Amino acid sequence: MKSLHDEEKVLKEIESKPRATIVLGTALVLLVLPFVISAPLATEILIWGIFGLGFNLLLGYTGVLSFGHAAYFGLGAYSAGMALRYWKASLWTSLLVAVTAAMLLACFIGALAIKRRGVYFAMISLAFGQMLYFLALSPLKHITRGEDGLTHIPIIKIFSVSLNRPQPLYYFVFVITIGMLYLTWRILQSPFGKLLQAFRENEERARACGFNTTLVKFFSLVLSAFYAGLAGALNTIYLGYVPLTTLFWLTSGTMVMMAILGGKGTFLGPLIGVGVFLFLQNTISVFTPRWEVFVGTIFVFIILLFPAGIMGTIRDKYSAYKTKKLRQEAPPLATRLE
Amino acid sequence: MLTDLPWSVIALQLFFGLALGSIFVLLASGLSIIYGLLDIVNFAHGTFAMLGGYAVFVAVSLSENFFIGILSAIVIVGLIGVLIEFFLLKPLYRKDPLLPLLLTFGLSVAIPDLIKIIFGLIGKPVNYPQAFTGATVFGSLTLPNYRLFIIFFTLAILISLWLFLKKSDLGMIIRASTRDSLMVQVLGVNVSRIWTIGFAIGIGLAALAGAIAVPMMSATPDMGVDMTMIAFVVTVVGGLGSLGGAILGGLFIGLVVAITSFIAGEYATVSMYFCMAVILLIRPRGLFGEIGRE
Repeated sequence: MKSLHDEEKVLKEIESKPRATIVLGTALVLLVLPFVISAPLATEILIWGIFGLGFNLLLGYTGVLSFGHAAYFGLGAYSAGMALRYWKASLWTSLLVAVTAAMLLACFIGALAIKRRGVYFAMISLAFGQMLYFLALSPLKHITRGEDGLTHIPIIKIFSVSLNRPQPLYYFVFVITIGMLYLTWRILQSPFGKLLQAFRENEERARACGFNTTLVKFFSLVLSAFYAGLAGALNTIYLGYVPLTTLFWLTSGTMVMMAILGGKGTFLGPLIGVGVFLFLQNTISVFTPRWEVFVGTIFVFIILLFPAGIMGTIRDKYSAYKTKKLRQEAPPLATRLE
Repeated sequence: MLTDLPWSVIALQLFFGLALGSIFVLLASGLSIIYGLLDIVNFAHGTFAMLGGYAVFVAVSLSENFFIGILSAIVIVGLIGVLIEFFLLKPLYRKDPLLPLLLTFGLSVAIPDLIKIIFGLIGKPVNYPQAFTGATVFGSLTLPNYRLFIIFFTLAILISLWLFLKKSDLGMIIRASTRDSLMVQVLGVNVSRIWTIGFAIGIGLAALAGAIAVPMMSATPDMGVDMTMIAFVVTVVGGLGSLGGAILGGLFIGLVVAITSFIAGEYATVSMYFCMAVILLIRPRGLFGEIGRE
């Protein structure tokens, strides 16, 4: 008879859990990334990676599918752009304005819709995202510049290094990305993070345990909007202007595809998904401007064949292998765990 | 400012709203049937409407007859629907409920680009059918014939849909499967085939909406997303999975959009989302939504 302590150890071994070294390892890989691929592409991967980390917190760990994340991303991008252009704000102020605006919007949409069933929330979030897009397109044209996008954003300097050169910009975004990666890791280790995952697994049971599921989902949405708003602001700094497409539904859709591709509910899934997606998109668009038909088709096949995504499939294979190995070592315990 | 206008101008806007709303009703009722029967939110709904529009364009340029165009739109797009349901959606039933939704989303990304490759980026115009050009005068009102046609055509479609669902055996089975598909299966009906038929009907209604909308706005590859949005807003307002809700919600949103585009043009698209937000605040499950389905 194995003791309880052993059982816990075995459980920990089967259940893959992001360890602290994962943040460090990722940091090392990202540190040399601009020497492997071009710095602008690497920067784009990091920006979308931050967006993805937040999106995965909501979809992968809480189990809420939002189809309107472009709203938070785009609002962050526009708020940062407007703060920089109209108020001549500093870098940090504009980042702060962006995340605040995105989180306030999430509070509004969350209050209206987070109680709804999963598919209903997906529809409503998509519709609100489109509402923002059309607001920016014409009624608010005088401040958003409509279809042209918000241009004339001043060049930003940090410690007297100007951020319009690819390398300094990359390492600026790199530092923020690592910070967000560490934050995500801490969130997932916290009781709040455990709660999120409990809801994804079985919402009814979590509610029966006395937790306010609506409130926790709401916080998860707002937190996710924080990441999206930050990513949007960084995107503004990266591009030097705000294209209207940051608010477009396809931006939300791209995020959904990236998250699924990488593997929802896995720690590194979003970064891997973003990297692979952007690399594919860049490669395909060399040959044809119609990359969406390829990406859409690939996505359909991923849904049909590997719904767990890249990291999810690897994780499943790994834990299956672990279980098998444990069964050989300690048959009764492993059988009970299944 | 509204009170200064002659009543006939207002009545004309209401009439336009009714015609627009009719198209919305067809779109949303297709979405509702699919959701009710298969529990799938079809993110590619507007994409199928767009395909319907292109089917009309092709058929009209070949046959010069708009009604053959409408018929071929329903048949072609309905068949595409059957193939998609059979090969792509069936493997996903009884798995994560979000997977079919994601799959249809993938289609809504891929298909418009495919259309762009085949037909080019520029929209394809379709002429008004010969029989419905011009306008009919009622007192001080001059009503365009094509919009009158849309309203009566939608009415005819809805009545036949209602008769089909209420009076025919197949309709009865579809209604029963919507309520409890497991029970229907136990009674010896091939539910899997019923789902395929239901999906085809829903997609066919979307294609029909796209087909009759095309003479007013010409078929473009990107019209699908806007139509998906309209269908979503109408179903959220009317209540997901309810046919009555789709009808009332569609007419309501049609009127709101028509009136807003008359008094404050640039807010026309935004107004329907605003309506949705208000409805969500005061009646979260929509006008006709069932409790527990929200």
